[in-house]
Amino acid sequence: MKKLLSLTLVVVMALSLLTGCAQPAPAPSGEPAAPAEEEVIKIGVFEPLTGANAAGGELEMEGIELAHELYPEVLGKKVDLIVVDNKSDKVEAATAAARLVEKEKVVAIIGSWGSSLAMAAGDIVRNAKVPAMGTSCTNPLVTQGNEYYFRVCFIDPFQGVVMSNYAFNGLGAKKAAIVQEVSNDYAVGLAKFFTDNFKKLTGDENSIVAVANYNTGDQDFTAQLTNIKAQNPDVIFAPGNFTESALLIKQARQLGIKTPFIGGDTYETPEFAEIGGDAVEGVVFSTFFATEKPITSESTKFLDAYKAKYPGKEPAAVTALGYDAYLILIKAIEQAGAADSASIHKALLETKDFQGAAGVVSFDENRNAIKSAVIKTIKDGKFTFMDVVEP
Amino acid sequence: MKRNTIYTGTALLLLFVFVYFANKHLDSYLLRILNLCAIYTVLGLSMNLINGFTGLFSLGHAGFMAVGAYTTAMLTLPIATKQMNFFLAPLISPLDKIVWPFLPSLLLAGVLAAIVAFLIGAPVLRLKGDYLAIATLGFSEIIRVVFTNTQTVTNGALGLKGIPATTNLWWSFGTAVVTIFIMVSLINSSYGRAFKAIREDEIAAESMGISLFKHKVLSFAIGAFFAGIGGGLLGNLMGTIDPLMFRFFMTYNILLIIVLGGLGSVTGTIISAFIITIAQEFLRFLDEPIIPNIPALPGLRMVVFSILLMLVVLFFRTGLMGTREFSWDKFFGFFKKRPLSNGGAK
Repeated sequence: MKKLLSLTLVVVMALSLLTGCAQPAPAPSGEPAAPAEEEVIKIGVFEPLTGANAAGGELEMEGIELAHELYPEVLGKKVDLIVVDNKSDKVEAATAAARLVEKEKVVAIIGSWGSSLAMAAGDIVRNAKVPAMGTSCTNPLVTQGNEYYFRVCFIDPFQGVVMSNYAFNGLGAKKAAIVQEVSNDYAVGLAKFFTDNFKKLTGDENSIVAVANYNTGDQDFTAQLTNIKAQNPDVIFAPGNFTESALLIKQARQLGIKTPFIGGDTYETPEFAEIGGDAVEGVVFSTFFATEKPITSESTKFLDAYKAKYPGKEPAAVTALGYDAYLILIKAIEQAGAADSASIHKALLETKDFQGAAGVVSFDENRNAIKSAVIKTIKDGKFTFMDVVEP
Repeated sequence: MKRNTIYTGTALLLLFVFVYFANKHLDSYLLRILNLCAIYTVLGLSMNLINGFTGLFSLGHAGFMAVGAYTTAMLTLPIATKQMNFFLAPLISPLDKIVWPFLPSLLLAGVLAAIVAFLIGAPVLRLKGDYLAIATLGFSEIIRVVFTNTQTVTNGALGLKGIPATTNLWWSFGTAVVTIFIMVSLINSSYGRAFKAIREDEIAAESMGISLFKHKVLSFAIGAFFAGIGGGLLGNLMGTIDPLMFRFFMTYNILLIIVLGGLGSVTGTIISAFIITIAQEFLRFLDEPIIPNIPALPGLRMVVFSILLMLVVLFFRTGLMGTREFSWDKFFGFFKKRPLSNGGAK
């Protein structure tokens, strides 16, 4: 009897698995399709909400949710956000994207923090012909050769060029040293484009006097810094994760290196200023967005709404990017007058001068945002606006 | 014996029919999950050979997978895509012109992973227990760091994309079946018995005339071979790889599968690879807001696995299957009241 029971249980479980896997049967032709489903537009979001990149994913989610609250409807239909966690894991990210496309049948996708996670979704959105809007994935490979991936942020080449221009024109530097986080695609890309443009500006092949590498999680940079000190550069470009960069600059000052440090948008986290303390005063970096200087009317709207929802908190640049990613999709649906993937894709390709919270966006031929960059410095432990650089 | 062969043949035929229809009728999301199930089966079996059957507590699996995934990717990437990927530093000379078919790439991936395992294993396998775990973990990290820094070969931290998505159900399930067949034959051979003897008691095994070094390295290299193949399948399923994908977490995922399934059981590994991979997706509803007005708790579904692992370690030390295996005799004996023929022994 017991055996019969266990056999029945096994069969039931196996059958439930099968039915779970089977494709949903088409609605009987007699009754019309449920009208409720017609009125909802599903937009998928895949972000790292757990794992190593959870902090970044959370910041972007804040922006996406804020935009959803401000613009909950388009074409008279309710917009539904379907959020899936990608665990900061590439394999999981691909499955999450496939789930959004196949099971949830979303019309467009937002995400993700982390270029490698976005790249994992690349093939899936292309095969399904569902447009995806990257938030802060800056690796050029994300959108290259994939006509369904867009992004609202500028990419590494632009940022590298901006900072090398600043080093050459703003600081009058003739010799630069680079310390890069070699395990970080973002840092490696930035360093490469900085190098190329700096050599062009100075007209000197040997203008980069030293290149030092470190890995994510390193604590001690004395060896690299001693090497750089001996070369006596005019400026040190150090793109990388905020914790390591702050420690790096701190140790450089302890070693008596007075050379100015410049970096990229990863510096703009409260932790960077906290860990760095006095050592990071005067550090200059490029980023997407400045709260002191709203770029568009949408920026003001975003800032007001953010302050109302999260009192006492400064919005991060990536939060504004998350906000823009949602809004640009909504505007595309509005423009297309239809909420199917093909129309949204077409409207996105035609998007020009989109007024977002983090700047005016147009797409180039590789579907990357062309937008202005903001240069900031650290003054009295606070991120302070310096300049806007037009593309 | 003959009856069992017929049953096995029938089961394989059924699997064949299932794969044929699944390939035609299921959507890409379900296909992806099934592919992952089969790939994790291959990876789980390869790790179980080292950890479960030979009793070497090795945590270097992600490193071997990285070797396999990169080898397959570099050999199967079309030349135009290679040029697109390597925009920072050009790819070194012979690799930028080579494009191989999938099968030889996959085999070479396994062979290279096995060679790496041999080089690592020869000095390290003298260590035991925790020390071996730390040494192998260190080596897997070294492989990853090397891949991060060799910009002209692996494209470094930028990763590779546009890898042809060759892996489908035929490849993944085919590899899984072949792996199961080889593993079972190996374990039932004299080598397999030597592996188990080493697991139970090294000194006793050695005094019986079993060469510890030879058998340990052999088990390690065969395990790494299949890990490399699994990594290659995974890379060509994803279409993109980067060094960060092969962190310790990857090893941990596979360790979870073999511990839950039972260290030293092929059957257990297969069952738990399927259950865990499917459950990870099935439990996604836990991440969503369950009770209205209470915000969603992302990561809740992973808590389920942590609790499961804790329960297994506390109460079911041997996992789902222990060291027991599936056999047709037991399967049919289960439904009969009378005792097994010759006492359930083979």
